[in-house]
Amino acid sequence: MAENQASLLLRKQLKDLSRNPVDGFSAGLVDDSSVFEWNVTIIGPSETLYEGGFFNAIMSFPPDYPNSPPTVRFTSEMWHPNVYPDGRVCISILHAPGDDPNGYELASERWSPVHTVETILISIIAMLSNPNDESPANVDAAKEWREQRDEFQRKVRRIVRRSQEFA
Amino acid sequence: MESEDEMQDAWAGTSDGEFVNEEEDEESDALASDDDNDESDYGFDYSNVDDLHPSSRLPQTNFTILSEKDIRQRQDEAVSTITNFLSISPADAGVLLRHFKWSVSKVNDEWFADEERVRASVGLLEKPATSKRQTQTEMTCEICFEVHPFEKMRAPRCGHYFCETCWTGYIHTAINDGPGCLTLRCADPSCGSAIGEDMVLSLVSTDDQQKYMRYLLRSYVEDNRKQVKWCPAPGCEYAVEFQPGVGSYDLVCKCGFNFCWNCREEAHRPVDCETVNKWILKNCAESENMNWILANSKPCPKCKRPIEKNQGCMHITCTPPCKFEFCWLCLGAWTDHGERTGGFYACNRYETAKQEGVYDEAERRREMAKNSLERYTHYYERWATNESSRAKALADLQDMQNVQIEKLSVTQCQPVSQLKFVTDAWLQIVECRRVLKWTYAYGYYLPENEHTKRQFFEYSQGEAEAGLERLHQCAEKDLLTFLGGTPTSSFNDFRTKLAGLTSVTKTYFENLVRALENNLSDVDIPKAAAKSSSSSKASGSSKGRGGRPKVGSSKSGGSSRSGEESTHWSCEHCTYANTTAASSIVCVICNHARS
Repeated sequence: MAENQASLLLRKQLKDLSRNPVDGFSAGLVDDSSVFEWNVTIIGPSETLYEGGFFNAIMSFPPDYPNSPPTVRFTSEMWHPNVYPDGRVCISILHAPGDDPNGYELASERWSPVHTVETILISIIAMLSNPNDESPANVDAAKEWREQRDEFQRKVRRIVRRSQEFA
Repeated sequence: MESEDEMQDAWAGTSDGEFVNEEEDEESDALASDDDNDESDYGFDYSNVDDLHPSSRLPQTNFTILSEKDIRQRQDEAVSTITNFLSISPADAGVLLRHFKWSVSKVNDEWFADEERVRASVGLLEKPATSKRQTQTEMTCEICFEVHPFEKMRAPRCGHYFCETCWTGYIHTAINDGPGCLTLRCADPSCGSAIGEDMVLSLVSTDDQQKYMRYLLRSYVEDNRKQVKWCPAPGCEYAVEFQPGVGSYDLVCKCGFNFCWNCREEAHRPVDCETVNKWILKNCAESENMNWILANSKPCPKCKRPIEKNQGCMHITCTPPCKFEFCWLCLGAWTDHGERTGGFYACNRYETAKQEGVYDEAERRREMAKNSLERYTHYYERWATNESSRAKALADLQDMQNVQIEKLSVTQCQPVSQLKFVTDAWLQIVECRRVLKWTYAYGYYLPENEHTKRQFFEYSQGEAEAGLERLHQCAEKDLLTFLGGTPTSSFNDFRTKLAGLTSVTKTYFENLVRALENNLSDVDIPKAAAKSSSSSKASGSSKGRGGRPKVGSSKSGGSSRSGEESTHWSCEHCTYANTTAASSIVCVICNHARS
């Protein structure tokens, strides 16, 4: 029943996105047999270090979506303070509220069933523009971002070029 | 009980007292601060506090045992009080109480200080955050994007409508995430509106309802850690409420488990919580195994596996797959040994190196570990033996209560009520075994260099042990002769003897407990090491012995005293058995008046 609700909702979102595409990303299924695995391409937002890049990522939805958040993992190479070295994205709206029962002042920043694929991807695009180095997932990238911005830029430009080659 | 003011006056007399006093004031306010870092402060000092009030304490008046029903009743009372005071719904009152850790006074204070701020922080909005779409007959749910008739849509007071299915899923996920569901907020991420228990319970399955109610019940105890705690016995469902005040932390739950309120370990007077914690940690720590390995083995020089040399010569062959052959003394390869190293079985290389001091460090470490291990084993063995004796005595006590008393009553033609002295004796044995057990943990941590204290402690412990053995012997062996056969005239003598021993042992142990809790401070007084001369002084100063309700062993009460009238009486202070023939108003040993 719950799984049924999740797949209905995901199909509906997929249909909406293909009918009314949103600037900045495109989305589709990894494999037509499962609606719980999505392939998304995020376009590096303009006027940022990531401008011009085409970054692929996989979104995996749990069976009790939308009550639990999906995970998002970049398959393209990525260098960012809030992306783990294995590509997993670490942003607060992908954390279930249960992770931190006392953090209610930040409830608005955590997962809620109201979020959709669109709001998640918009948050990820915002993350690319504004890295949060307070609680980094990739400590080396955060340190570099803070202390050696030149080196950080150089690395990001390299991954942008690579992503264009594969696109 | 004396009034609070009097207590504070008395406490203000000592620096310890002041400290404890502050701590407990804080507790009685049920403050939100939930850190436990001050727990260790409770360790020792309460004994000083209660010594200032020799007559103010009845055993365990400062604890209330709460069943689940009691807790539920208290929750209901708190909710209805708040409902009446603030004129809000019971569900809202519940939200407030959970936020303020079930403190009615705290809710009142905060609410009347700044209602707006409280409403904002707990999520009780006065007006809907959004007022749209109230008039439509159909609505789109913002979670599943399906269109539903308006009756199928639900919203908390903020007015964020979602369909019932989506709400149920949302709440179900929260309940299965844990007790955080008690402070659940609206599903709209920009909204902090609280979801009250009325809405939760009306939407979820019976299973989830039960889970939610369970968390609700538990929150009364678990959010209130400084005043209410669960009984730690496995499967026990009682909670214990503590009222700050004087008295010890030892208590007996309704389930029969005897534990310390402060650290929730089993009752451990006279040892303080910190020592108990250290001792328990030590008992289960791997470090003891390591010490043993260090003391009794050497690592194979090739594969480094520890080897215990349990027999034979110095020629060691490590077990396969290593199979390295080496000399136990110098740890060199066996192939280097032979005539030129002084023969196969006396290693010159070792002797020479030892003279040069090469082995000293490792040897010394091994030696020290061996000593400390032996020392620990000594205390641990006695601690554990007393525990098993206690368990045995407890079983005997139950057997006595359930079977033997009846038997005795029949053979000796005595009403059961007249045989209470037997169970009293067994209760006392159980209690004494417990105390004795913990004195071994105490002894282990008593610093080696405090020779006088150690001497005094070991002497007192020895005396306590001997006294307890006498009592145990009498209750176990002497009783046997009266169980079979016919009424005996000597039964009355037996009664006198056993009741007397019970009372004497009890007093002795109480004094021991108090002395240990005072950290054997008597030793600091000159010439006080012998128990008989110390007691009169001590009772005059801080001890307050006798004439007050007994701690810990309250079960055996004063009734046992009735039987000891005949030939001698036991001094309350030094436990000496005075004969009634003498001019016996004053103890011949300590000159203390008979009470």
